[in-house]
Amino acid sequence: MASTRRVLGEPAALSGISHHLPYSNPHMLHNHPPDTSFGRNQEESSFDFGELEEPIVLGGVKINKNKTKETLYSSVKASAILEMLPSWPIPRQRESSKSGEESTDSGSALIKPDSESPISTKAPSDHHKTARAAAEDDSDREHDDLQPPQPPLQSPDIQMESARTGVSQSKSAAKQTTEKTLRRLAQNREAARKSRLRKKAYVQQLESSRMRLSQLEQDIQSARSQGLFIGGRATTGNISSAGAVFDMEYSRWLDEDIGHMSELRAAVQSHLSDGDLRAIVDGYVSHYDEIFRLKGVAAKSDVFHLITGTWVTPVERCYLWMGGFRPSELIKMLIPQLDPLTEQQLLGICGLQQSSQQAEDALAQGLDQLHQSLLQTIANSSLNDSMHHMVIALGKLANLEGFVRQADNLRQQTLHQLRRILTVRQAARCFLVMGEYYGRLRALSSLWASRPRE
Amino acid sequence: MATDPLERIERMASENAVVIFSKSSCCMCHAVKRLFCGMGVNPMVYELDEDPRGKELEKALTRLLCGGSAVPIVFIGGKLVGAMDRVLASHINGSLVPLLKEAGALWL
Repeated sequence: MASTRRVLGEPAALSGISHHLPYSNPHMLHNHPPDTSFGRNQEESSFDFGELEEPIVLGGVKINKNKTKETLYSSVKASAILEMLPSWPIPRQRESSKSGEESTDSGSALIKPDSESPISTKAPSDHHKTARAAAEDDSDREHDDLQPPQPPLQSPDIQMESARTGVSQSKSAAKQTTEKTLRRLAQNREAARKSRLRKKAYVQQLESSRMRLSQLEQDIQSARSQGLFIGGRATTGNISSAGAVFDMEYSRWLDEDIGHMSELRAAVQSHLSDGDLRAIVDGYVSHYDEIFRLKGVAAKSDVFHLITGTWVTPVERCYLWMGGFRPSELIKMLIPQLDPLTEQQLLGICGLQQSSQQAEDALAQGLDQLHQSLLQTIANSSLNDSMHHMVIALGKLANLEGFVRQADNLRQQTLHQLRRILTVRQAARCFLVMGEYYGRLRALSSLWASRPRE
Repeated sequence: MATDPLERIERMASENAVVIFSKSSCCMCHAVKRLFCGMGVNPMVYELDEDPRGKELEKALTRLLCGGSAVPIVFIGGKLVGAMDRVLASHINGSLVPLLKEAGALWL
Protein backbone atom coordinates (compact mmCIF):
# COMPACT_ATOMS: atom_id res chain seq x y z
CA MET A 1 0.00 0.00 0.00
CA ALA A 2 2.71 2.38 0.90
CA SER A 3 4.99 1.54 -1.95
CA THR A 4 3.01 3.39 -4.56
CA ARG A 5 3.07 6.50 -2.51
CA ARG A 6 6.63 6.65 -1.50
CA VAL A 7 8.50 9.84 -1.86
CA LEU A 8 10.48 9.46 -5.01
CA GLY A 9 14.15 9.76 -4.53
CA GLU A 10 13.87 9.71 -0.80
CA PRO A 11 17.37 9.83 0.45
CA ALA A 12 18.07 7.32 3.11
CA ALA A 13 20.22 9.80 4.94
CA LEU A 14 17.35 12.10 5.65
CA SER A 15 15.05 9.49 7.00
CA GLY A 16 16.75 10.01 10.27
CA ILE A 17 15.62 13.58 10.62
CA SER A 18 12.13 13.03 11.79
CA HIS A 19 12.36 9.52 12.94
CA HIS A 20 10.30 10.23 15.97
CA LEU A 21 7.20 9.59 13.98
CA PRO A 22 5.78 6.20 14.72
CA TYR A 23 5.63 4.93 11.19
CA SER A 24 4.30 1.57 12.03
CA ASN A 25 1.17 2.74 13.72
CA PRO A 26 -1.52 2.52 11.10
CA HIS A 27 -4.26 2.99 13.63
CA MET A 28 -3.05 6.41 14.56
CA LEU A 29 -2.53 7.44 11.00
CA HIS A 30 -6.04 6.74 9.96
CA ASN A 31 -7.39 8.89 12.68
CA HIS A 32 -5.45 12.04 12.18
CA PRO A 33 -6.21 14.74 9.75
CA PRO A 34 -3.49 16.00 7.54
CA ASP A 35 -2.03 19.07 9.01
CA THR A 36 -2.07 21.38 6.09
CA SER A 37 -1.39 24.34 8.24
CA PHE A 38 2.06 23.04 8.52
CA GLY A 39 4.09 25.25 6.36
CA ARG A 40 1.67 28.12 6.36
CA ASN A 41 2.66 29.68 9.60
CA GLN A 42 6.18 29.14 10.43
CA GLU A 43 5.41 29.53 14.11
CA GLU A 44 3.22 26.51 13.97
CA SER A 45 6.16 24.36 13.69
CA SER A 46 4.55 21.08 14.40
CA PHE A 47 1.40 19.12 14.44
CA ASP A 48 0.10 18.91 17.94
CA PHE A 49 -1.07 15.51 18.92
CA GLY A 50 -1.31 16.46 22.53
CA GLU A 51 -4.92 17.34 22.24
CA LEU A 52 -5.74 14.15 20.51
CA GLU A 53 -6.08 11.53 23.14
CA GLU A 54 -4.08 8.89 21.43
CA PRO A 55 -0.99 7.54 23.08
CA ILE A 56 1.40 9.19 20.74
CA VAL A 57 5.01 9.55 21.43
CA LEU A 58 6.61 12.17 19.34
CA GLY A 59 9.88 13.60 20.28
CA GLY A 60 10.30 17.30 20.09
CA VAL A 61 6.75 18.18 19.17
CA LYS A 62 5.92 21.76 19.90
CA ILE A 63 2.51 22.69 21.22
CA ASN A 64 0.51 24.63 18.71
CA LYS A 65 -0.55 27.71 20.60
CA ASN A 66 -3.22 28.61 18.11
CA LYS A 67 -5.20 25.58 19.18
CA THR A 68 -6.17 27.04 22.54
CA LYS A 69 -8.78 29.33 21.14
CA GLU A 70 -10.32 26.49 19.22
CA THR A 71 -11.40 24.85 22.44
CA LEU A 72 -14.08 27.46 22.64
CA TYR A 73 -15.99 25.78 19.85
CA SER A 74 -19.05 24.06 21.12
CA SER A 75 -19.31 20.36 20.58
CA VAL A 76 -22.45 20.95 18.57
CA LYS A 77 -20.56 23.06 16.17
CA ALA A 78 -17.86 20.46 16.04
CA SER A 79 -20.31 17.74 15.14
CA ALA A 80 -21.84 19.99 12.53
CA ILE A 81 -18.50 20.63 10.98
CA LEU A 82 -17.65 16.97 10.97
CA GLU A 83 -20.95 16.23 9.29
CA MET A 84 -20.22 18.81 6.64
CA LEU A 85 -16.83 17.41 6.03
CA PRO A 86 -17.47 13.75 6.47
CA SER A 87 -14.41 12.71 4.63
CA TRP A 88 -12.36 13.18 7.75
CA PRO A 89 -10.71 11.21 9.18
CA ILE A 90 -9.65 9.13 6.27
CA PRO A 91 -6.20 8.57 5.00
CA ARG A 92 -5.61 10.92 2.16
CA GLN A 93 -4.08 9.50 -0.94
CA ARG A 94 -0.76 10.99 -1.41
CA GLU A 95 1.58 11.06 -4.27
CA SER A 96 4.95 12.00 -3.24
CA SER A 97 6.91 12.81 -6.27
CA LYS A 98 7.85 16.14 -4.87
CA SER A 99 7.97 17.65 -1.50
CA GLY A 100 6.04 20.84 -1.20
CA GLU A 101 8.99 22.99 -1.82
CA GLU A 102 7.21 25.59 -3.85
CA SER A 103 4.19 26.02 -1.71
CA THR A 104 5.17 27.86 1.36
CA ASP A 105 1.96 29.75 1.43
CA SER A 106 -0.25 26.88 0.56
CA GLY A 107 0.65 25.37 3.82
CA SER A 108 1.86 22.09 2.55
CA ALA A 109 5.08 20.87 3.86
CA LEU A 110 5.11 17.42 2.53
CA ILE A 111 3.45 14.71 0.74
CA LYS A 112 3.79 11.56 2.63
CA PRO A 113 2.43 8.08 2.41
CA ASP A 114 -0.10 7.58 5.13
CA SER A 115 1.63 4.63 6.49
CA GLU A 116 4.70 6.62 7.17
CA SER A 117 3.55 9.84 8.60
CA PRO A 118 0.59 11.15 10.45
CA ILE A 119 1.24 14.52 9.01
CA SER A 120 0.39 14.39 5.37
CA THR A 121 -0.21 17.59 3.61
CA LYS A 122 -1.18 18.94 0.29
CA ALA A 123 -4.59 17.44 -0.05
CA PRO A 124 -5.38 17.21 -3.72
CA SER A 125 -1.86 16.68 -4.64
CA ASP A 126 -2.48 13.56 -6.64
CA HIS A 127 -4.47 15.12 -9.40
CA HIS A 128 -2.01 17.78 -10.10
CA LYS A 129 1.00 15.71 -9.46
CA THR A 130 1.33 14.99 -13.12
CA ALA A 131 0.93 18.64 -13.94
CA ARG A 132 3.53 19.40 -11.43
CA ALA A 133 5.85 16.76 -12.69
CA ALA A 134 5.52 18.24 -16.14
CA ALA A 135 5.65 21.80 -14.96
CA GLU A 136 8.56 21.51 -12.70
CA ASP A 137 12.03 22.27 -13.53
CA ASP A 138 14.86 19.92 -13.22
CA SER A 139 16.45 22.64 -11.24
CA ASP A 140 14.03 21.84 -8.51
CA ARG A 141 15.13 18.29 -8.30
CA GLU A 142 18.36 19.17 -6.66
CA HIS A 143 16.34 20.58 -3.83
CA ASP A 144 14.23 17.49 -3.77
CA ASP A 145 17.06 15.36 -2.62
CA LEU A 146 17.75 17.70 0.21
CA GLN A 147 14.17 17.80 1.39
CA PRO A 148 13.36 15.77 4.44
CA PRO A 149 10.92 13.11 3.37
CA GLN A 150 8.82 13.54 6.47
CA PRO A 151 7.31 16.75 7.70
CA PRO A 152 10.02 18.25 9.79
CA LEU A 153 8.89 18.56 13.31
CA GLN A 154 11.71 20.66 14.55
CA SER A 155 11.83 24.27 13.47
CA PRO A 156 15.36 24.19 12.05
CA ASP A 157 14.12 21.87 9.39
CA ILE A 158 11.35 24.23 8.57
CA GLN A 159 13.71 27.14 8.27
CA MET A 160 15.79 25.02 5.94
CA GLU A 161 12.78 24.11 3.95
CA SER A 162 11.36 27.59 3.64
CA ALA A 163 14.70 28.92 2.61
CA ARG A 164 14.95 26.29 -0.04
CA THR A 165 11.42 26.76 -1.17
CA GLY A 166 12.03 30.47 -1.50
CA VAL A 167 14.91 29.80 -3.82
CA SER A 168 13.13 27.28 -5.94
CA GLN A 169 9.99 29.36 -5.89
CA SER A 170 11.54 32.28 -7.66
CA LYS A 171 13.14 29.97 -10.18
CA SER A 172 10.07 27.97 -11.06
CA ALA A 173 7.58 30.80 -10.87
CA ALA A 174 9.56 32.77 -13.35
CA LYS A 175 9.78 29.99 -15.88
CA GLN A 176 6.65 27.85 -15.48
CA THR A 177 3.05 28.54 -16.17
CA THR A 178 2.21 30.86 -13.30
CA GLU A 179 -1.45 30.22 -13.84
CA LYS A 180 -1.18 26.55 -13.19
CA THR A 181 0.91 27.19 -10.15
CA LEU A 182 -1.49 29.73 -8.77
CA ARG A 183 -4.42 27.44 -9.29
CA ARG A 184 -2.61 24.66 -7.61
CA LEU A 185 -1.71 26.88 -4.74
CA ALA A 186 -5.29 27.95 -4.36
CA GLN A 187 -6.44 24.35 -4.30
CA ASN A 188 -3.84 23.57 -1.75
CA ARG A 189 -4.98 26.43 0.39
CA GLU A 190 -8.53 25.30 0.16
CA ALA A 191 -7.71 21.75 1.04
CA ALA A 192 -5.52 22.92 3.86
CA ARG A 193 -8.28 25.10 5.18
CA LYS A 194 -10.80 22.28 5.10
CA SER A 195 -8.36 20.01 6.75
CA ARG A 196 -7.76 22.46 9.51
CA LEU A 197 -11.47 22.83 10.05
CA ARG A 198 -11.93 19.12 10.27
CA LYS A 199 -9.11 18.80 12.69
CA LYS A 200 -10.51 21.55 14.88
CA ALA A 201 -13.90 19.94 14.86
CA TYR A 202 -12.51 16.57 15.78
CA VAL A 203 -10.40 17.92 18.56
CA GLN A 204 -13.32 19.87 19.87
CA GLN A 205 -15.50 16.82 19.88
CA LEU A 206 -12.86 14.93 21.78
CA GLU A 207 -12.50 17.68 24.32
CA SER A 208 -16.19 17.99 24.93
CA SER A 209 -16.48 14.24 25.27
CA ARG A 210 -13.74 14.34 27.81
CA MET A 211 -15.51 17.06 29.74
CA ARG A 212 -18.75 15.11 29.57
CA LEU A 213 -16.99 12.06 30.86
CA SER A 214 -15.48 13.83 33.84
CA GLN A 215 -18.84 15.44 34.52
CA LEU A 216 -20.52 12.05 34.49
CA GLU A 217 -17.92 10.67 36.84
CA GLN A 218 -18.49 13.56 39.21
CA ASP A 219 -22.21 12.95 39.07
CA ILE A 220 -21.73 9.33 39.92
CA GLN A 221 -19.48 10.26 42.81
CA SER A 222 -21.94 12.68 44.30
CA ALA A 223 -24.88 10.40 43.70
CA ARG A 224 -23.05 7.54 45.28
CA SER A 225 -22.30 9.56 48.36
CA GLN A 226 -25.98 10.30 48.67
CA GLY A 227 -26.95 6.73 48.08
CA LEU A 228 -29.11 7.61 45.12
CA PHE A 229 -30.45 5.42 42.42
CA ILE A 230 -29.10 6.23 39.00
CA GLY A 231 -31.16 4.69 36.25
CA GLY A 232 -32.75 2.36 38.74
CA ARG A 233 -29.45 1.03 39.93
CA ALA A 234 -28.05 1.79 43.37
CA THR A 235 -24.76 3.53 43.38
CA THR A 236 -23.91 2.98 46.99
CA GLY A 237 -20.69 1.38 48.01
CA ASN A 238 -17.38 1.48 46.31
CA ILE A 239 -17.27 1.07 42.59
CA SER A 240 -13.93 0.36 41.07
CA SER A 241 -13.03 2.41 38.06
CA ALA A 242 -13.44 -0.63 35.84
CA GLY A 243 -16.83 -1.19 37.43
CA ALA A 244 -17.80 2.44 36.93
CA VAL A 245 -16.71 2.33 33.32
CA PHE A 246 -18.69 -0.84 32.77
CA ASP A 247 -21.76 0.67 34.42
CA MET A 248 -21.63 3.57 32.01
CA GLU A 249 -21.16 1.28 29.04
CA TYR A 250 -24.03 -0.87 30.21
CA SER A 251 -26.19 2.20 30.62
CA ARG A 252 -25.44 3.17 27.04
CA TRP A 253 -26.15 -0.40 25.94
CA LEU A 254 -29.56 -0.19 27.61
CA ASP A 255 -30.33 3.00 25.73
CA GLU A 256 -29.38 1.28 22.50
CA ASP A 257 -31.54 -1.66 23.51
CA ILE A 258 -34.55 0.62 23.62
CA GLY A 259 -33.76 1.69 20.09
CA HIS A 260 -33.44 -1.90 18.92
CA MET A 261 -36.71 -2.76 20.61
CA SER A 262 -38.60 -0.01 18.80
CA GLU A 263 -37.05 -1.11 15.56
CA LEU A 264 -38.05 -4.73 16.17
CA ARG A 265 -41.53 -3.75 17.20
CA ALA A 266 -42.08 -1.65 14.12
CA ALA A 267 -40.57 -4.33 11.90
CA VAL A 268 -42.79 -7.08 13.30
CA GLN A 269 -45.93 -4.98 12.98
CA SER A 270 -45.25 -3.74 9.50
CA HIS A 271 -44.57 -6.32 6.85
CA LEU A 272 -40.95 -5.90 6.00
CA SER A 273 -39.22 -8.16 3.57
CA ASP A 274 -37.26 -11.01 5.03
CA GLY A 275 -34.04 -9.35 3.97
CA ASP A 276 -34.76 -6.15 5.88
CA LEU A 277 -36.01 -8.09 8.85
CA ARG A 278 -32.89 -10.21 8.85
CA ALA A 279 -30.70 -7.13 9.10
CA ILE A 280 -32.63 -5.93 12.13
CA VAL A 281 -32.62 -9.33 13.78
CA ASP A 282 -28.93 -9.90 13.18
CA GLY A 283 -28.32 -6.40 14.46
CA TYR A 284 -29.95 -7.40 17.70
CA VAL A 285 -27.74 -10.45 18.02
CA SER A 286 -24.70 -8.24 17.47
CA HIS A 287 -26.06 -5.90 20.12
CA TYR A 288 -25.91 -8.76 22.60
CA ASP A 289 -22.50 -9.84 21.33
CA GLU A 290 -21.36 -6.35 22.24
CA ILE A 291 -22.47 -6.54 25.86
CA PHE A 292 -20.82 -9.93 26.24
CA ARG A 293 -17.64 -8.44 24.89
CA LEU A 294 -17.86 -5.52 27.33
CA LYS A 295 -18.51 -7.92 30.18
CA GLY A 296 -15.46 -9.90 29.19
CA VAL A 297 -13.34 -6.80 29.43
CA ALA A 298 -14.86 -5.83 32.77
CA ALA A 299 -14.41 -9.35 34.15
CA LYS A 300 -10.68 -9.08 33.66
CA SER A 301 -10.45 -6.09 35.99
CA ASP A 302 -13.32 -6.59 38.37
CA VAL A 303 -15.14 -9.88 38.21
CA PHE A 304 -16.79 -9.24 41.57
CA HIS A 305 -18.55 -6.23 40.18
CA LEU A 306 -20.23 -8.45 37.62
CA ILE A 307 -21.04 -11.17 40.15
CA THR A 308 -22.35 -8.83 42.84
CA GLY A 309 -24.66 -7.38 40.25
CA THR A 310 -24.94 -3.75 41.26
CA TRP A 311 -25.02 -3.02 37.55
CA VAL A 312 -28.46 -4.58 37.23
CA THR A 313 -31.66 -3.55 38.94
CA PRO A 314 -32.63 -5.20 42.25
CA VAL A 315 -35.26 -7.48 40.75
CA GLU A 316 -32.86 -8.63 38.05
CA ARG A 317 -30.28 -9.16 40.76
CA CYS A 318 -32.49 -11.76 42.41
CA TYR A 319 -32.30 -13.85 39.30
CA LEU A 320 -28.66 -13.21 38.51
CA TRP A 321 -26.76 -16.35 37.72
CA MET A 322 -22.97 -16.17 37.38
CA GLY A 323 -23.12 -12.54 36.45
CA GLY A 324 -26.05 -12.66 34.04
CA PHE A 325 -29.23 -14.33 32.97
CA ARG A 326 -29.70 -18.08 33.15
CA PRO A 327 -30.07 -19.39 29.58
CA SER A 328 -32.31 -22.37 30.38
CA GLU A 329 -34.64 -20.04 32.27
CA LEU A 330 -34.86 -17.76 29.25
CA ILE A 331 -35.63 -20.66 26.91
CA LYS A 332 -38.29 -21.96 29.26
CA MET A 333 -39.94 -18.54 29.26
CA LEU A 334 -39.73 -18.26 25.48
CA ILE A 335 -41.05 -21.66 24.37
CA PRO A 336 -44.78 -20.99 24.88
CA GLN A 337 -44.43 -17.59 23.22
CA LEU A 338 -42.77 -18.85 20.09
CA ASP A 339 -45.80 -20.64 18.65
CA PRO A 340 -46.23 -21.73 15.96
CA LEU A 341 -43.11 -23.89 15.71
CA THR A 342 -42.47 -26.81 13.43
CA GLU A 343 -41.85 -30.18 15.00
CA GLN A 344 -38.18 -29.94 14.17
CA GLN A 345 -37.93 -26.47 15.64
CA LEU A 346 -39.63 -27.57 18.82
CA LEU A 347 -37.19 -30.46 19.12
CA GLY A 348 -34.33 -28.09 18.53
CA ILE A 349 -35.48 -25.62 21.15
CA CYS A 350 -36.13 -28.30 23.73
CA GLY A 351 -32.73 -29.75 22.97
CA LEU A 352 -31.28 -26.28 23.45
CA GLN A 353 -32.97 -25.99 26.80
CA GLN A 354 -31.64 -29.35 27.87
CA SER A 355 -28.07 -28.75 26.76
CA SER A 356 -27.94 -25.32 28.35
CA GLN A 357 -29.30 -26.85 31.55
CA GLN A 358 -26.56 -29.47 31.49
CA ALA A 359 -23.91 -26.86 30.83
CA GLU A 360 -25.23 -24.67 33.63
CA ASP A 361 -25.16 -27.57 36.05
CA ALA A 362 -21.60 -28.43 35.09
CA LEU A 363 -20.44 -24.84 35.54
CA ALA A 364 -22.28 -24.56 38.83
CA GLN A 365 -20.58 -27.68 40.14
CA GLY A 366 -17.21 -26.40 39.05
CA LEU A 367 -17.86 -23.08 40.75
CA ASP A 368 -19.00 -24.88 43.86
CA GLN A 369 -15.77 -26.79 43.97
CA LEU A 370 -13.92 -23.50 43.66
CA HIS A 371 -15.83 -22.07 46.62
CA GLN A 372 -15.10 -25.14 48.76
CA SER A 373 -11.44 -25.17 47.84
CA LEU A 374 -11.09 -21.47 48.58
CA LEU A 375 -12.74 -21.80 51.97
CA GLN A 376 -10.44 -24.67 52.82
CA THR A 377 -7.40 -22.63 51.95
CA ILE A 378 -8.54 -19.73 54.12
CA ALA A 379 -9.52 -22.02 56.97
CA ASN A 380 -6.25 -23.91 56.85
CA SER A 381 -4.11 -20.85 57.02
CA SER A 382 -2.31 -20.72 60.31
CA LEU A 383 -0.64 -17.79 61.96
CA ASN A 384 2.76 -18.83 60.71
CA ASP A 385 2.23 -19.15 57.01
CA SER A 386 -0.97 -17.16 56.50
CA MET A 387 0.68 -15.13 53.75
CA HIS A 388 1.45 -18.28 51.84
CA HIS A 389 -2.16 -19.42 52.08
CA MET A 390 -3.41 -15.99 51.08
CA VAL A 391 -1.32 -16.21 47.96
CA ILE A 392 -2.78 -19.60 47.17
CA ALA A 393 -6.26 -18.25 47.84
CA LEU A 394 -5.62 -15.35 45.47
CA GLY A 395 -4.64 -17.82 42.79
CA LYS A 396 -7.86 -19.74 43.28
CA LEU A 397 -9.91 -16.55 43.26
CA ALA A 398 -8.49 -15.72 39.86
CA ASN A 399 -10.42 -18.67 38.46
CA LEU A 400 -13.64 -16.83 39.13
CA GLU A 401 -13.17 -14.80 35.98
CA GLY A 402 -13.10 -18.01 33.94
CA PHE A 403 -16.46 -19.11 35.24
CA VAL A 404 -18.15 -15.80 34.54
CA ARG A 405 -16.63 -15.88 31.07
CA GLN A 406 -17.91 -19.38 30.42
CA ALA A 407 -21.33 -18.36 31.68
CA ASP A 408 -21.36 -15.44 29.25
CA ASN A 409 -20.11 -17.80 26.55
CA LEU A 410 -23.06 -20.04 27.31
CA ARG A 411 -25.48 -17.11 27.12
CA GLN A 412 -24.02 -15.95 23.84
CA GLN A 413 -24.08 -19.42 22.26
CA THR A 414 -27.66 -19.89 23.37
CA LEU A 415 -28.79 -16.71 21.65
CA HIS A 416 -26.92 -17.65 18.48
CA GLN A 417 -28.45 -21.12 18.45
CA LEU A 418 -31.89 -19.63 18.97
CA ARG A 419 -31.28 -17.45 15.96
CA ARG A 420 -30.23 -20.49 13.93
CA ILE A 421 -33.25 -22.59 14.81
CA LEU A 422 -35.85 -19.90 14.19
CA THR A 423 -36.90 -18.27 10.94
CA VAL A 424 -36.20 -14.59 10.56
CA ARG A 425 -39.74 -13.65 11.43
CA GLN A 426 -39.87 -15.97 14.41
CA ALA A 427 -36.53 -14.67 15.63
CA ALA A 428 -37.78 -11.09 15.41
CA ARG A 429 -40.78 -11.92 17.55
CA CYS A 430 -38.62 -13.98 19.89
CA PHE A 431 -36.16 -11.17 20.54
CA LEU A 432 -39.01 -8.73 20.96
CA VAL A 433 -40.50 -10.96 23.64
CA MET A 434 -37.11 -11.36 25.29
CA GLY A 435 -36.35 -7.65 25.30
CA GLU A 436 -39.74 -6.76 26.68
CA TYR A 437 -39.42 -9.43 29.35
CA TYR A 438 -36.19 -8.02 30.72
CA GLY A 439 -37.59 -4.53 30.32
CA ARG A 440 -40.49 -5.46 32.56
CA LEU A 441 -38.11 -6.81 35.20
CA ARG A 442 -36.30 -3.49 35.18
CA ALA A 443 -39.55 -1.55 35.30
CA LEU A 444 -40.61 -3.63 38.27
CA SER A 445 -37.48 -2.54 40.10
CA SER A 446 -38.25 1.10 39.43
CA LEU A 447 -41.85 0.72 40.56
CA TRP A 448 -40.71 -1.06 43.68
CA ALA A 449 -38.22 1.66 44.48
CA SER A 450 -40.81 4.38 44.09
CA ARG A 451 -43.69 2.63 45.86
CA PRO A 452 -45.37 4.66 48.64
CA ARG A 453 -44.09 3.75 52.06
CA GLU A 454 -45.33 4.65 55.55
CA MET B 1 7.36 -45.19 25.02
CA ALA B 2 7.01 -42.08 22.90
CA THR B 3 9.40 -39.37 24.00
CA ASP B 4 7.94 -36.40 22.19
CA PRO B 5 5.16 -34.93 24.37
CA LEU B 6 2.98 -34.10 21.39
CA GLU B 7 3.22 -37.67 20.15
CA ARG B 8 2.38 -38.89 23.59
CA ILE B 9 -0.66 -36.66 23.70
CA GLU B 10 -1.82 -37.91 20.32
CA ARG B 11 -1.39 -41.46 21.42
CA MET B 12 -3.25 -40.93 24.67
CA ALA B 13 -5.99 -39.07 22.84
CA SER B 14 -6.61 -41.86 20.40
CA GLU B 15 -6.76 -44.61 22.97
CA ASN B 16 -10.22 -43.67 24.24
CA ALA B 17 -13.41 -42.25 22.80
CA VAL B 18 -13.35 -39.24 25.12
CA VAL B 19 -10.09 -38.03 26.61
CA ILE B 20 -9.79 -35.12 29.02
CA PHE B 21 -6.47 -33.62 30.02
CA SER B 22 -7.01 -32.17 33.45
CA LYS B 23 -5.49 -31.20 36.76
CA SER B 24 -6.88 -32.45 40.02
CA SER B 25 -6.87 -28.94 41.49
CA CYS B 26 -8.54 -27.26 38.51
CA CYS B 27 -12.19 -26.37 39.04
CA MET B 28 -12.99 -25.81 35.37
CA CYS B 29 -11.69 -29.33 34.77
CA HIS B 30 -14.11 -30.51 37.38
CA ALA B 31 -16.88 -28.71 35.52
CA VAL B 32 -16.06 -30.37 32.20
CA LYS B 33 -15.86 -33.77 33.83
CA ARG B 34 -19.29 -33.20 35.39
CA LEU B 35 -20.65 -32.17 32.00
CA PHE B 36 -19.68 -35.43 30.34
CA CYS B 37 -20.72 -37.57 33.29
CA GLY B 38 -24.04 -35.78 33.33
CA MET B 39 -24.54 -36.79 29.70
CA GLY B 40 -23.78 -40.42 30.51
CA VAL B 41 -20.33 -40.34 28.97
CA ASN B 42 -17.39 -41.99 30.68
CA PRO B 43 -14.30 -39.98 29.75
CA MET B 44 -10.69 -41.02 30.20
CA VAL B 45 -9.13 -38.40 32.43
CA TYR B 46 -5.40 -37.70 32.63
CA GLU B 47 -4.45 -35.57 35.63
CA LEU B 48 -1.32 -33.78 34.54
CA ASP B 49 -0.35 -32.84 38.07
CA GLU B 50 -0.19 -36.53 38.87
CA ASP B 51 1.88 -37.46 35.85
CA PRO B 52 5.67 -37.45 36.30
CA ARG B 53 6.05 -35.82 32.89
CA GLY B 54 3.00 -33.68 33.28
CA LYS B 55 4.84 -30.40 32.91
CA GLU B 56 5.99 -31.07 29.38
CA LEU B 57 2.57 -32.40 28.41
CA GLU B 58 1.11 -29.18 29.78
CA LYS B 59 3.50 -27.11 27.70
CA ALA B 60 2.70 -29.06 24.56
CA LEU B 61 -1.04 -28.68 25.17
CA THR B 62 -0.69 -24.93 25.64
CA ARG B 63 1.12 -24.75 22.31
CA LEU B 64 -1.59 -26.84 20.69
CA LEU B 65 -4.19 -24.30 21.70
CA CYS B 66 -1.99 -21.33 20.88
CA GLY B 67 -1.85 -20.11 24.44
CA GLY B 68 -4.50 -19.98 27.09
CA SER B 69 -4.70 -22.54 29.80
CA ALA B 70 -3.61 -26.08 29.06
CA VAL B 71 -6.43 -27.65 31.03
CA PRO B 72 -9.08 -28.74 30.58
CA ILE B 73 -8.60 -29.92 27.02
CA VAL B 74 -10.93 -32.42 25.43
CA PHE B 75 -10.33 -34.93 22.63
CA ILE B 76 -13.19 -36.91 21.13
CA GLY B 77 -12.54 -39.80 18.80
CA GLY B 78 -8.87 -38.88 18.79
CA LYS B 79 -9.59 -35.40 17.44
CA LEU B 80 -9.06 -32.19 19.34
CA VAL B 81 -12.29 -30.48 20.40
CA GLY B 82 -10.70 -27.80 22.53
CA ALA B 83 -10.98 -26.08 25.88
CA MET B 84 -14.11 -25.41 27.88
CA ASP B 85 -15.44 -22.65 25.67
CA ARG B 86 -15.33 -24.84 22.54
CA VAL B 87 -16.85 -27.77 24.39
CA LEU B 88 -19.74 -25.64 25.62
CA ALA B 89 -20.22 -24.01 22.23
CA SER B 90 -20.38 -27.38 20.48
CA HIS B 91 -22.82 -28.70 23.06
CA ILE B 92 -25.13 -25.71 22.60
CA ASN B 93 -24.99 -25.77 18.82
CA GLY B 94 -25.80 -29.45 18.85
CA SER B 95 -22.58 -30.81 17.39
CA LEU B 96 -21.23 -32.42 20.55
CA VAL B 97 -23.71 -35.28 20.84
CA PRO B 98 -23.28 -36.53 17.26
CA LEU B 99 -19.51 -36.37 17.77
CA LEU B 100 -19.83 -38.49 20.90
CA LYS B 101 -22.08 -40.98 19.18
CA GLU B 102 -19.71 -41.24 16.27
CA ALA B 103 -16.83 -41.95 18.65
CA GLY B 104 -18.89 -44.60 20.36
CA ALA B 105 -19.03 -42.74 23.66
CA LEU B 106 -22.80 -42.39 23.60
CA TRP B 107 -25.56 -44.70 22.56
CA LEU B 108 -29.21 -44.02 21.72
